[in-house]
Amino acid sequence: MVGEELIAGPVLDAAGMKALSAALAITVTGLASAWAEKEIGTAAIGAMAENEGLFGKGLILTVIPETIVIFGLVVALLINQ
Amino acid sequence: MSSPKEMTRAVIVGHKSILKETIDALHDSNLFHIEDFVEDESGFKIDKPFENAADVSKKLVKIRSISSFLGVDKKEPVIQKSDAVLQDLDSKLDELDRSISAKTAAIAKLETDLKDLESQKKDLLPFMSINLDFDYYRGYKNLKVFAGSIKSNLDESQLSSLTQTYELFYDPQAKTIALFVTNTEADKVYEFLQGLGFRELRVPNRGGVPSELLKVIEEKEIEINGKIESLKAEIDSMNTKYADFILASDEILSIESQKAEMPLRIATSANTFIIDGWAPSESYDSLVNTLNDATGGRAYISKLEIKEEEKEKVPVEYNNSKTVVPMQEIMDLYSRPKYTELDPSAIIFITLPLMYGLILGDMGYALILGSLALLIKKAIKAEAAQRLANILLYCQISTAIFGLIYGEFLGFPLAGFHGEPGLIPGWETRTLFSGLGGEEVTFPIHRSHMIMTMIAATVIVGLFHLALGFILGFININKQHGFKHALLEKGSWLIIEVSAIVAIIGYLIQNSIITNIGLIALVIGVLMLTKGEGIQGPIELPALMGNALSYARIIAVGLSSIYIAGTVNDIAFNMMWEDHSQIGLVAIAAILVFLLGHGLNSLLSIIAPGLHALRLQYVEFFGKFYEGGGKKYNPFGYIRKYTEE
Repeated sequence: MVGEELIAGPVLDAAGMKALSAALAITVTGLASAWAEKEIGTAAIGAMAENEGLFGKGLILTVIPETIVIFGLVVALLINQ
Repeated sequence: MSSPKEMTRAVIVGHKSILKETIDALHDSNLFHIEDFVEDESGFKIDKPFENAADVSKKLVKIRSISSFLGVDKKEPVIQKSDAVLQDLDSKLDELDRSISAKTAAIAKLETDLKDLESQKKDLLPFMSINLDFDYYRGYKNLKVFAGSIKSNLDESQLSSLTQTYELFYDPQAKTIALFVTNTEADKVYEFLQGLGFRELRVPNRGGVPSELLKVIEEKEIEINGKIESLKAEIDSMNTKYADFILASDEILSIESQKAEMPLRIATSANTFIIDGWAPSESYDSLVNTLNDATGGRAYISKLEIKEEEKEKVPVEYNNSKTVVPMQEIMDLYSRPKYTELDPSAIIFITLPLMYGLILGDMGYALILGSLALLIKKAIKAEAAQRLANILLYCQISTAIFGLIYGEFLGFPLAGFHGEPGLIPGWETRTLFSGLGGEEVTFPIHRSHMIMTMIAATVIVGLFHLALGFILGFININKQHGFKHALLEKGSWLIIEVSAIVAIIGYLIQNSIITNIGLIALVIGVLMLTKGEGIQGPIELPALMGNALSYARIIAVGLSSIYIAGTVNDIAFNMMWEDHSQIGLVAIAAILVFLLGHGLNSLLSIIAPGLHALRLQYVEFFGKFYEGGGKKYNPFGYIRKYTEE
């Protein structure tokens, strides 16, 4: 039967699962950061069009969600320990 | 660490007869920041601008439009005497204006001529292959001429079946025809031609053979184009000839215009004026002296005490040493400090390059980007570029130091490690002690082999940075609202941070006494915070952990830079050694990969570590103490570049 060998043994061994979880941690947090930054970045550009002096504040607000992916990275590294 | 320059509030009062002298003296001193007067119920009014204002602004508009038309760039200043420039300003400006208008008018006329010729040419083109003198198309009594284009192909046999008396000129490629028939058969032929989709063309009104006419037109076009080019070259040469004059007179007129419009910003009554504003305390005496000299002591200037609620609107001037000045750009990008708070420029002068160096930490990139910074410093003299280049340079010095600590050069290890030789022969990695998660702490620090330890280390760096932020916040609030507020609002955070660390250390070394001391202090800290900032304080507690963990980006971004560099090196060297038979071509490709890869990574190494280091200052660090929003100190005056008194 097709796929029998997959059912007989686990699809992924422990190391594989770890690698996959680490990848998931990075991917999902990366997407989350990107999504959040996209929303803020758009608004920041809009604000900057009105007043160029808002560049500094815009930059800060835009990079705030970046912390999410940094946490993801830390988690990924912890998983692989 | 410093505060902004101390300011003195001053009010200048005098009779209107000395207003001009006062304004001249203030403008020359370039020290006094004027508070614009807003009309209210006090009975004072803003004054009218000086008489020459309209004239000056008219000239200024003229000179600026000429300058933008000629494309005059700012350049190495040639300093001229302002009197000399002023003397023949009017005549030179008129001369310039006239000759430019004459030249542009001439160019416009030539361009219309050119368009005219172009349309004549267009009329000629269909008749080119027939090449019959245009006079032959008209002036017949008994002949009818069909000149035009047809859509489908003309079959001459069909035509000859209609009529015997005709003369046909036909260009099958352009599908143009010129057909001569007798008047009696004209209708029949016209019908036939309509069947072919005939459209009449306008026969040019002049005589002559098309090919010769075309030659004449093209010759004329070349001639006109030449004239336009030479006129444009003349305008360009005016740019080089008059650039100094234009820059100098722009400057003089700007100064005059500032002075002439000054009365609009101050309070006046029928006979007196009041100028309200700020001067740096250190220069107040010299300002008083200048003013007394200029008016013979008739303008009365006095200090006012700065009230507490006025401190918000005191203009802020940085007070930093020359080395720290570039960092003010970073401050202005965020927000200028308020008059009442500390100016952290001197602190980010250390912490920003420190974070940048911790992230990048590579001797090779430090050399590349350091040279780039020096190059920018040499090539671009603009002040903003100089400052940015200086910031880049500071960052690269720190990067070089950490490059040595990390032992990295363009992603290659400098020291030997696990039997692999490093770039510097004889430098072997030494194991110092064991780190977290079974890792070994070595010198030089191989970051990619001790990730867990580095995460912990960077978070500890972050905790120090945050603690520094709380201390600065404490100083700020102590200055503004007193010790009690400072202790409750900022001191509490410091206690929370330190006690949490103590508790964790106690837990890690399994000493319950230390843990308990930490926990008790933590509770006290939280209580103080709640008293200081209300319920909002404890809600923000988890943010402290987030802030600290955020510093893990130092190692994260650093690793990404190492991996990019390492990948480039791997690809280049594998190509180099893979195939010895074709060493020539592959070696060149490998060198190209190496150069492009590291070039790209150098650019990324400005952006990624730069932005992240900056963010750690702006978000994590400034969030603990900095408010910003100070008004820029903008003294009434002008920094002359092209002229002198």
